Amino acid sequence: MDHEARKTLRRLIVWVGGVAVAILALFALLTGGDNLGTIINIFSTRFLGIFIEAVPFLLLGTLVSGLIEAFLTADDIAQFVPRNPIAATLVGTFMGFTFPVCECGVVPVVRRLYSKGLPIPVGITFLLAAPVINPIVLASTAAAFGFGTILVARFVITALVAFTVGLVFAIAARPQEVLRARTATFAPVMGGSGEDTPITVMPLLTVKAPRKSLAVGLRDAVNLAGDEFFEMGRYLIIGSLLAAAMQTFVSQEVLSTLGRDPVVSVVAMQIFAFILSVCSTVDSFLALAFAGTFTTGSILAFLTFGPMVDIKSMLMFLGVFKRRIVAYLIALPLLLTLLIGIWINLNLNV
Amino acid sequence: MTTLEQHHAHDHAAHQAQMAQLWLKTAILIGLGLYFIYNIVTGNLSNYINERFAWLAYVAAGLFLLTGVFNAHRLWENRGHDHDHDHDHEGHNHGTISWGVLAITAIPLVLGTLIPSQPLGAEAVNGGVNTSAYQGAQVTTVSIPPLERNVLDWLRAFNRETDMASFEGQPADVVGFVYREPTFGDDQFMIARFTVSCCVADANAIGVPVQWATTPDLPQGEWMRVTGTFTVGDFRGERLPILQAAAVEVVAQPDHPYLYP
Repeated sequence: MDHEARKTLRRLIVWVGGVAVAILALFALLTGGDNLGTIINIFSTRFLGIFIEAVPFLLLGTLVSGLIEAFLTADDIAQFVPRNPIAATLVGTFMGFTFPVCECGVVPVVRRLYSKGLPIPVGITFLLAAPVINPIVLASTAAAFGFGTILVARFVITALVAFTVGLVFAIAARPQEVLRARTATFAPVMGGSGEDTPITVMPLLTVKAPRKSLAVGLRDAVNLAGDEFFEMGRYLIIGSLLAAAMQTFVSQEVLSTLGRDPVVSVVAMQIFAFILSVCSTVDSFLALAFAGTFTTGSILAFLTFGPMVDIKSMLMFLGVFKRRIVAYLIALPLLLTLLIGIWINLNLNV
Repeated sequence: MTTLEQHHAHDHAAHQAQMAQLWLKTAILIGLGLYFIYNIVTGNLSNYINERFAWLAYVAAGLFLLTGVFNAHRLWENRGHDHDHDHDHEGHNHGTISWGVLAITAIPLVLGTLIPSQPLGAEAVNGGVNTSAYQGAQVTTVSIPPLERNVLDWLRAFNRETDMASFEGQPADVVGFVYREPTFGDDQFMIARFTVSCCVADANAIGVPVQWATTPDLPQGEWMRVTGTFTVGDFRGERLPILQAAAVEVVAQPDHPYLYP
């Protein structure tokens, strides 16, 4: 992430936080402070409920990410990839099971893999699929929705979209047109910057780096997990605040009107997913807040589009790919999940 | 001041900021770990999540304390060291993050400790109290004796049965909070509970309609135990078994305020 991107992100966080405070203040004015205590109490219970349920999954995710960073080299990862492009794209789709990384962890891994000559489409597919197709997200989705339609559909749709976009790139793209010059020729990456990203761990993945001893590796992994909690936790907390505010302050009728429309509901949930930028390991619990009022297609659009593209991953994409490619990486999943979501709403009565 | 000195002063300030943040990070991590333990010990956890997922709180407490202790160890290693030292160690190069991020991360801790923990009650009902309930995977309501059924069990029984008359005369003994709307009859209220499948994000208010002569005296949201028998009648334009209360008494809020479908 370059300096400009960080500045934008920071502005955004201030903005979102400001809006949340403004909503609260507005509500205090509207209620005249009469039952403000009760309302704040309800809001707090809702917020903490989502946070308490979701944060263990976030911590597990950061720990796994820390372990990968500490113990695996990119060579280990590259060995898994077959030469046949279609087989390789398939591998990319399911690589998340061996390397459970969320959308925050996947970008630096992909960048490192590209520097080692990973085929473009495999990286793209891995980039889009891994945040959902991995054991931790499987567990959190099951915790939220049970083993059922939502869980299966989330995985199938993600695999489908990621594979499709990967194939598009397999046919249409050449490396020099896709990657930023810096990525293609690769220099040891300081995680985009030394200051404000979770990616600062990447320098550990250098080719020549000797294997670490178990104790040192574990220590580094836990320390990385702790740091990453602060990087990623903010998105979860802001997301939980907004979801709790929505449930507390927006009347059921308004939500139902918005949430029942087969098209509007999908677009609304996609925008929500993009803005919230919540980690894929915990977004199920936010989706749960909408499951009662919003269409199934829109919930699935939230659960599939969000992990592939959101504000924070878009900013990280810009550090790896050329601008035009980033536009494709946003537009293709957006359109595909939009169409699938609307199709589900119109054709399946679930 | 020479350029070199200026550079050095700048580095020094940056180092101090980094150390301050490390202190704060350690405090937040350990604080959150203790907050989870506090929730487990006091039973407040049941105000937030389904009992089934209580083990997740243990995981969170453990991982917060673990990362917190490692951060504390980093603090210990860095005590009194010059910042230059930082760059010598691989894996010690933790960058600073913005203060805003730290403030955001502290929000759960602040809300969790400053605002008294309470379960969702009558005021949290948004869009009315339902008289239909999830059937859930394991429906064994029929095997539960009538007097042991809770609000959720009764609604499941109602939803499965097409002939409401079969509930006529059945005795019931349920606990819930009082819920009234202006549209209800003067002698009607609902004895209500929230169901929580995962966490309060999916909380859903359900309730059994009750007939009770002095309903207007009942305070909204108060936890009550209602005993009586069902007669079939009209409630909000729907044909439903209505509990004719023989006794309504105030009870303490149950340890598990939510029902788990």
